[in-house]
Amino acid sequence: MASRNTAKKSLKLAPVLDLNEATGLHERLLTLKGTPIEIDASAVERIGTLCAQVLMAGARSWEEDRLSFTFAKVSDAFVKTTQLIGVDIAPLMAKEI
Amino acid sequence: MDMNEIKEIFFQECEEQLAELESGLLKLNDGDRDPETVNAVFRAVHSIKGGAGAFGLDDLVSFAHVFETTLDCVRSNRLEPNQDVLKVMLKSADVLADLTNAARDGGSVDAARSRQLIKELEALANGELPQAAVAEPVAKPAPVAAPTPAPVVNEEGFQPVAFSFDDFETNEPLAIEPSTFEILFRPKSELYAKGNDATLLLRDLSRLGEMSIHCDMDELPALASMNPEAAYFAWKISLKTDKGEEAIRSVFEFAEWDCELDVMLAGGDHAGAGEELPMQPVPFDLSMLDEEVPASPGAAEDDDQVAAQQREARDDAVSAAATASNVLQMAQTARASAESNRSAASASAAQAAAQQAASAATPTIRVDLDRVDRLINLVGELVINQAMLSQSVIENDTNGTSSINMGLEELQQLTREIQDSVMAIRAQPVKPVFQRMSRIVREIADMTGKSVRLVTEGENTEVDKTVIDKLAEPLTHMIRNAVDHGLETPEKRVAAGKNPEGTVRLTAKHRSGRIVIELADDGAGINREKVRQKAIDNDLIAADANLSDEEIDNLIFHAGFSTADKISDISGRGVGMDVVKRSIQALGGRINISSKPGHGSVFTMSLPLTLAVLDGMVVTVANQTLVVPLTAIVETLQPEASAIHSFGASQRLISIRNSFCPLVDVGRILNFRAIQANPVEGVALLVESEGGGQRALMVDAIQGQRQVVIKSLEANYTHVPGIAAATILGDGRVALILDVDAIVAASRGQSLKPEMLLAAAG
Repeated sequence: MASRNTAKKSLKLAPVLDLNEATGLHERLLTLKGTPIEIDASAVERIGTLCAQVLMAGARSWEEDRLSFTFAKVSDAFVKTTQLIGVDIAPLMAKEI
Repeated sequence: MDMNEIKEIFFQECEEQLAELESGLLKLNDGDRDPETVNAVFRAVHSIKGGAGAFGLDDLVSFAHVFETTLDCVRSNRLEPNQDVLKVMLKSADVLADLTNAARDGGSVDAARSRQLIKELEALANGELPQAAVAEPVAKPAPVAAPTPAPVVNEEGFQPVAFSFDDFETNEPLAIEPSTFEILFRPKSELYAKGNDATLLLRDLSRLGEMSIHCDMDELPALASMNPEAAYFAWKISLKTDKGEEAIRSVFEFAEWDCELDVMLAGGDHAGAGEELPMQPVPFDLSMLDEEVPASPGAAEDDDQVAAQQREARDDAVSAAATASNVLQMAQTARASAESNRSAASASAAQAAAQQAASAATPTIRVDLDRVDRLINLVGELVINQAMLSQSVIENDTNGTSSINMGLEELQQLTREIQDSVMAIRAQPVKPVFQRMSRIVREIADMTGKSVRLVTEGENTEVDKTVIDKLAEPLTHMIRNAVDHGLETPEKRVAAGKNPEGTVRLTAKHRSGRIVIELADDGAGINREKVRQKAIDNDLIAADANLSDEEIDNLIFHAGFSTADKISDISGRGVGMDVVKRSIQALGGRINISSKPGHGSVFTMSLPLTLAVLDGMVVTVANQTLVVPLTAIVETLQPEASAIHSFGASQRLISIRNSFCPLVDVGRILNFRAIQANPVEGVALLVESEGGGQRALMVDAIQGQRQVVIKSLEANYTHVPGIAAATILGDGRVALILDVDAIVAASRGQSLKPEMLLAAAG
């Protein structure tokens, strides 16, 4: 896991992340690039494949930059959907309390 | 849009699907073995099931489910769609239609019949032949219905076998021993572009059974270089299910062109099967991901197995519908408006799905018929108004060369085009009515124990919607009569050297601006002796009346006339043919019979294509303005004295290009004048009548040619023999539209009066 950085930024995800949200999410992630990021997925009720792709691409890019990319809080729907589509978010879960 | 409206649209779609279903089954019945036909039939039932599930119409869902299962057997070549199988399927289609109607209008369904059919369908799915086809009882459980591909032993050591339904209640779906499938699913970007989401497909898939999944993210580029709307994820899925490969494929049914999909039984030889991928098990309870139905599969512990099955069927249906029916998309939209926090997202999803639906078929809209009628009425008024305007300009403008005239001409053309376009909106093929008839034939054949084949021709002939709507009832009466009275019993047919299966032929075609519908049977024909005797018994004619064959045949149109020896449920109550005749007349149509003893009868109905406008020739007869439908007129000519020949006491003939044609004085026939006019002073209109013969109608003068808006005389006044309708002319006066065929018939010696009496008696 990348080192936790003090300049960590937070990104709260919208409740509905369907096909139309992918572009917006992509843009927002791009603006946060270069800083450690903590994602709050606690409000997510629905997430589609495109947004999941964006998040996973983000996780990879952050990893390449050796910056932290974590999910601080996740909703049940978020976890279930990622399980459903076979995306393992366990390594990205925030480890601290 | 509220739920009721959406439901109404669903039922309209159901009607279309049912029509599709029936025409597909009939094609199969005729020996069509095109897989696309089978697919179309399957899709129809599937869509009905899907939509019905969304509205919680459980009866419909459970019947459609069993039906679909059996159709699936046909689709996967496990069941040969022979005549006996199709008989059951056609009956099932009827019950499905009944259930749909019952769900729509309340009403009840013959529960015993649908239960019986469910049994028969299940037996078919189970590989048993229909009862009718087998003399000996079938050995059950029949192991014939192994799923494709042929017996493969999967890794659990199970061999898929068919499964007997006999121990279960009606709602059991076709169960196959669970097999494990390996599925490779690689969406293309188009899938997302069309509003589908792989997540939803995977969710539906996970409902089929135990699923574990591996997401292949190798294609996923770096964040900066990715296109957020492109497809990068692909999946390898392992699914243990008892629903079979078809169920898996049907999940992807509406996405199959937008993804790479590979479904195979696990354990088969295939590249990559050996490589071990980290598979992530998918949690069973995904109910919270359902934005539509909060039903919890957790309640499936419920002891009531049937209830659980129904719920499952509904869940299946909902998921199928979620990817399929645009009705459901609209339902989602409606729900979204109820749940405000989700509204935006759902609506946009529905929009995307609507786009997808639009790309699949020619875009159409459903419009309330009343609105079209209002428009047609207004256009009619516009035409009259335009005619009045032209007339007053002509009367007042002495120059006759002004730009007003040119403008008027353009206006006339435009109104005409508008009118044609509006009429085209209402023109519909007669197919739906004809299709309904095949059901009537089936039912009557069943009730009478006769074997009947309905042959339809020209189903795509288009005619005004009003005509179509009003056609169904008389046609039903006539079909019933044809099967019940017209056709003989199989024994009698065999004795007469005919095929034991009777044929009823229903034909539609356009002829001289009208639609002609013919109903022919190859039965015994009209028993004229019996009809005549019956008419005498009923005091309809005098015992010594001298009637031609045609006149005797026409007696069956008389009210209260029936030759059936015993009154049956079907026909023979003496209402029928007179009702038929009146309905056809009310449509501005005519009906004729021609019957040949031993060879059957032909009923010919001739109806106007539209009830709204008519191209007519405006003529003067005895100072009256009349309109003659242009479609009936072959040519007009100015008779010369040398061409007129007397014939018999009062008949006259006109010689036209070396042939003689009876000359008919319209003024005389209509009783506008007492003595015949001098032909040389008038104009002759050569007309072609229904029977095919030509007549020269004598009128005093031709005023011009005009499109007139038809105003019904029956609705505003009463039926007038020899007159089809009325219209309003440019000067605001009412002109009568001539019924050419009635005039021609009257000229054959049958005066217009008896018909009036008959009409009055009816």
